[in-house]
Amino acid sequence: MNAVETDVLIIGAGPAGLAAAFETASRGLQVTLVDESKSMGGQLVQQTQVLSSLPSIYQPMCGFELAAHLSRQLEDFEIRYLLGHRVIGFYKDGSVGITDEKNVFPLRAKKTIVATGASENAIAFPKWTLPGVMTIGAAQTLMNRNFVQPGKNAVIVGSSDFAMDVALQLSKVGVRIRGIVEKNTGVKANGTEKVEQVRKIGIPILLNSSIKEARGIGAVSEVDIQQGEDIWTEKVDLVCVDGGRSPILDIFYQLGCSFGHQEELGGWVPQYNNDFQTDCENVFLAGNAAGISTQGALLVTGMLAGINVCAALGAISKEAVEEGKQSLWKELESIETRSNLKVWQARNQHIEKFAHPVLKDQFIS
Amino acid sequence: MDKSTIICRCEEISLEEIVEVIANGARTFDDIKRLTRCGMGPCQSKICNCLVAGVIHEQTGMEFHQIPLPRMRMPISPIKLETLATNSTTFSSVKSVLDEVELEDGKVK
Ligand SMILES: Cc1cc2nc3c(=O)[nH]c(=O)nc-3n(C[C@H](O)[C@H](O)[C@H](O)COP(=O)(O)OP(=O)(O)OC[C@H]3O[C@@H](n4cnc5c(N)ncnc54)[C@H](O)[C@@H]3O)c2cc1C
Ligand code: FES
Repeated sequence: MNAVETDVLIIGAGPAGLAAAFETASRGLQVTLVDESKSMGGQLVQQTQVLSSLPSIYQPMCGFELAAHLSRQLEDFEIRYLLGHRVIGFYKDGSVGITDEKNVFPLRAKKTIVATGASENAIAFPKWTLPGVMTIGAAQTLMNRNFVQPGKNAVIVGSSDFAMDVALQLSKVGVRIRGIVEKNTGVKANGTEKVEQVRKIGIPILLNSSIKEARGIGAVSEVDIQQGEDIWTEKVDLVCVDGGRSPILDIFYQLGCSFGHQEELGGWVPQYNNDFQTDCENVFLAGNAAGISTQGALLVTGMLAGINVCAALGAISKEAVEEGKQSLWKELESIETRSNLKVWQARNQHIEKFAHPVLKDQFIS
Repeated sequence: MDKSTIICRCEEISLEEIVEVIANGARTFDDIKRLTRCGMGPCQSKICNCLVAGVIHEQTGMEFHQIPLPRMRMPISPIKLETLATNSTTFSSVKSVLDEVELEDGKVK
């Protein structure tokens, strides 16, 4: 079996990967899109809230509607879809190993765009491994993708915008939320409207507080909440933890990319330049893998990676690239300074450090 | 967290065990992994990585950017050996495994 060849390999069919696929396929490049999920859209599929910070060409819409729109946009092009396929690593000759769960086959790409998204971070407390304790995203997936109500009585740990959205969605399907527990002195969410809505439907937001312990036999049945000197018990069958998100890095690590550290972008982030190109010349990146941001910004990063790959493969004129880059960077700035200024600043700092990564040459110890 | 709190759920490694190896000089995720099996489970440290970094930070005062990432090897997620051993002769060697030790005349340098 000879390695399959392609111009552009895109790993991850979330918003970033789909946006990159459109930019590259629409300019005549041969694109292969791989995702371990059988459906396209990545984490957008379970997002039922209206996304407000989309690029100016988009109407406000929900996550799953955006996923459908981005997939439809690709219908006119001949793309090789490898859905239900996993990337398992890279070989020394640079080819990528892809599995359909029966076989592994090698694929060679001229350029690769890694858009593998983010993973959710855990929060540990005594007995956090009991069934019924899950990440906030897992609860959202169960509810909106699998149509399973994840519990009846819940506490949520963490007060980000994401936690507020899911709190509202859980309440809507009849889950009673006993409280949102936040260890800091203020709410983390930037969207004040959402926080108001959460308060209005009677969900208590407990600041300076944490889960002291969970208990239960075979599944969680109660938690102790501590706020200052006070400790009390809540009967719950669902604990949703929101420990923030971090870029998924395994593929970059295998490729030999360098990393820098930016707390605001989710911790370790692959090092990249203005063109969303890593320090491995043929590897580009987009989406949450390039730093945690809002959906609108992730789309723009996918478009940027896409047109830069087109430029590297000579599929677009020099003037068109420059024009495109300029307007996309403006759009990115406008979205990120509006939705989260700190993320925009961290992204710029990260790019400035391109030539001075903290971690490099990971395979030569 | 108390000392019995699980940090690595795949391998059931508690906070106490991790604190102990840090006290004995472990400073990176891979040090802790080699001494305790923390990170060697089915998730290959995708869940415990950030928790372990938090414990190292608390115990030693090291900043997060001073605590390197765990090594991420092929295969990056679990796969059946039968699937991995596809009868193909066109594969080149796996990138990660032997690059860590430099060999000279067949012996570790
Ligand atoms: C469970 C969950 C729920 C979320 N809900 C919200 C929310 O409500 N609000 C919000 O603002 N943000 C939410 N997020 C954040 C979400 O990550 C972003 O909104 C957005 O979807 C990220 O886009 P992306 O294209 O970077 O990555 P993703 O949408 O995550 O897409 C990455 C894709 O890459 C694929 N992939 C990864 N590794 C491999 C591999 N080795 N082989 C093959 N395929 C691979 C994945 O299957 C996935 O489809 C959620 C995240 C998670 C994990
Ligand atoms: S939680 Fe440590 S290996 Fe899975």
